[in-house]
Amino acid sequence: MLLAYKTALASPRVTAAAIEATEFPQLADAMDVWAVPRIVVNGVPQWDGSVPERVFLDRILAPSFE
Amino acid sequence: MRGLFDALERPVELLVALGPEETPLPGARDVDFGGETVRIVEELAALSANVSFRVEDEPAGFDRYPAVALLPAGEDAGLRYYGLPWGYELGSLVGGVLEAGRREPSLSDESRARLDSLERELEIDVFVTPT
Repeated sequence: MLLAYKTALASPRVTAAAIEATEFPQLADAMDVWAVPRIVVNGVPQWDGSVPERVFLDRILAPSFE
Repeated sequence: MRGLFDALERPVELLVALGPEETPLPGARDVDFGGETVRIVEELAALSANVSFRVEDEPAGFDRYPAVALLPAGEDAGLRYYGLPWGYELGSLVGGVLEAGRREPSLSDESRARLDSLERELEIDVFVTPT
C-alpha cells in the first residue's frame, strides 16, 4: 500500500486509494478480490501481492494502460 | 509513533468523510464504521501538532464512505483510505501520514524520472483487509 501512496505523492497524475475489502464487499466482488493486497489500476484488476518498487513501476507504467 | 510524527517535514491533515448517512452492512450493524474512523484519526492527531484532522459529511472527491484523505500541507495529492483503518491496516494509514509528511517523495530517483514522463492519469486502488 505504501508504494502506491509514495507513487501518488511523486506524481500529480497518480492517485492511490486503500480500500478495506470486507467493508465494501460488492466492489471487492466486482474486482475479484480473494487475496490481498489486490492491485487495481484504472478500474481493471492487475495482480495480487507486494512487489519491489521497480516491478511496481514496470507494471503500472506498462503500455496496456494507454 | 509520536516521535515519528513530530519529525515530519511538513504538516499532514486527515480529512474524514463520513458520507450521507451510516449505511448498515449485513451482519455488522453493531459497528459504527464512521464513528470508529473518527476516533482513530482523532487519536493519531492527538500525538503531534504536525497531524491535524477535520470531519465532513460529503466533501468533494470521495467515491465511498467512510473515507480518510491524507492531505500533505493541506493539499489533495490523491491519497485516500476507504473504510475503517483498523487492525493491520492502521499501519497503512500511519505509513501514509509519514510519507505525506516528507518534503521529497521517498521513491528512487530512477522511479521519479519514470513517473515524470507519465502522460496519462493512473488511479491505483489497493484492496486490503485488516487481518
